[in-house]
Amino acid sequence: MSGLVRAQQQNRDTDSVSLYDSAVRRAPLRGALVDLYRYRALVRLLVARDMTVRYKRSLLGVTWTVLNPLLITLVMWGVFEHLFHSSIPGHIPYIVYILAGNLVVTYFQQGVNMTAASIASSAGMLTKVYVPPVIFAFSAAASGAVNFVYGLVPLVVIQLSTGTGVAPTFVLVPVPLLFFLLMIAGIGFFLATYAIRYDDVLNLIGVVMVLVAYITPTFYPVTIVPAQFRRFFYLDPVFPYVETFRYLEYGGPRPSWVAAAYILVSGLVGFAVGLRVFVRRWPSLAVLM
Amino acid sequence: MSHEPPIRVEDLTLEYRVPHHRANSLKEAMVRIARRGIAYDLLRAVDGVSFHVDQGEVMGIVGPNGAGKSTLMKVIARVLPPTAGRVRVRGRVSPMIELGAGFNAEQTGRENVILYGALLGRDANHMKSRCAAIAEWAGLTDYLDVPIRAYSSGMVARLAFSVAVDVEPSVLLIDEILAVGDASFQMKSSERMTELIGAGASVVLVSHQLQQIVDRCDRVMWLEHGVLKALGRPQEVVAAYAEAVGVPWDLHEEEAGPPETDLTPGATGA
Repeated sequence: MSGLVRAQQQNRDTDSVSLYDSAVRRAPLRGALVDLYRYRALVRLLVARDMTVRYKRSLLGVTWTVLNPLLITLVMWGVFEHLFHSSIPGHIPYIVYILAGNLVVTYFQQGVNMTAASIASSAGMLTKVYVPPVIFAFSAAASGAVNFVYGLVPLVVIQLSTGTGVAPTFVLVPVPLLFFLLMIAGIGFFLATYAIRYDDVLNLIGVVMVLVAYITPTFYPVTIVPAQFRRFFYLDPVFPYVETFRYLEYGGPRPSWVAAAYILVSGLVGFAVGLRVFVRRWPSLAVLM
Repeated sequence: MSHEPPIRVEDLTLEYRVPHHRANSLKEAMVRIARRGIAYDLLRAVDGVSFHVDQGEVMGIVGPNGAGKSTLMKVIARVLPPTAGRVRVRGRVSPMIELGAGFNAEQTGRENVILYGALLGRDANHMKSRCAAIAEWAGLTDYLDVPIRAYSSGMVARLAFSVAVDVEPSVLLIDEILAVGDASFQMKSSERMTELIGAGASVVLVSHQLQQIVDRCDRVMWLEHGVLKALGRPQEVVAAYAEAVGVPWDLHEEEAGPPETDLTPGATGA
């Protein structure tokens, strides 16, 4: 094969499989980042597949992505309306408050769960064809982000129909969403290393997720907790995101700079640490698949 | 182009860590750790194996079940990282192991073709443009936009095979799958394989059909308990293996030299 043809072919390809040397040790973090960039088309295909698979055999199709948080919100609304509706900060319609919070918590729950489970559930492919496993894990976290974006549609509709309006800062929603995706992926990578080895890790994650759902102020206002204890909300990984999204979406109370710093750090550090742990542990996990 | 062979395996060892008692749950593991550590057995699936495969060469692997053949294939496919030793593979690898295992039943043939191609390292746009040709080659043009759920198992395997050979692999890893589809498709796929080998592809072929190994391969290795017991001319290695496992094997083709030399130019014996 001539040099030119080879160069063209390599250009067209998305990977480096053309040269594999097991003795070459790559820097775990940088290597994984290069892989994620190189296989970005595959990430897109895997996200699209997730969408098809999850909704194809259901009556309402993709609308479930939108309906699911909406129905949960309606239930909470019906149950707690009399208790909390008058105490929501900024006198925002209670249903808007719940839905905005639910979208964030739901993404966290689904995203961490699916990312942690992704390696085991793609074993069929991972044990046959070489693809960096982190591609499958990241795709799972990215699918959740797509669901989150779909979920914004009914939120906007309800904000408009209840007269809350849409804050001009709404266009900034993708910024915390990106960091949220990174944090969720990082936590998921880390937990995946245990989920491959032990069957009950996913059950355990499910329990922790219920806890997160309750300690996060989705259906109750922060003010039901005495002021001196409110800083404990920052122990909840999702709380600063909930506050920030509410602020950007409908002009809820402005979050403190702590929340902004938390979002920045949790996204970047969470992703880097999770990715590094995953890539370093992978060789000893691959033989277990 | 360098003279380094496309596949070079040096002193390869692969160990599985098998817990003494299966601790499949975190709870169990905690209990074990609390009672001083989990005891592991090291299962050495591949033990100090060295060989290389030249360009355009077909290497056969024979051996009883559990000899480490499939594990060795997975290490070459880069799916398993070696415990010790070194593996180097140059070129586009197309592992043909349990074809269609990664296919998704809910997605259409077309979607699966594009995803499978991307898994094998092909650009999605390139795969989109190849879909029609791949489906035609598999004889599945009418089924391209039908969910895989509606395919028969033979149709799935045919489609997967068509993708695997369409990506123009230069290294083919074949684990017992030359018999895909019906008789006419088998002939077609066999021809395509010969074409790829003629174009310089290197092949590693695992099979229990000894006649197929002798017919197809330039060299054969015999693995047992992960150890390389013999490596050399197909007739000799297969005959020795057949004798060891007590399978009747006819040696009358011994004088024929490497078979199918016309199809595999540049092939040499041991």
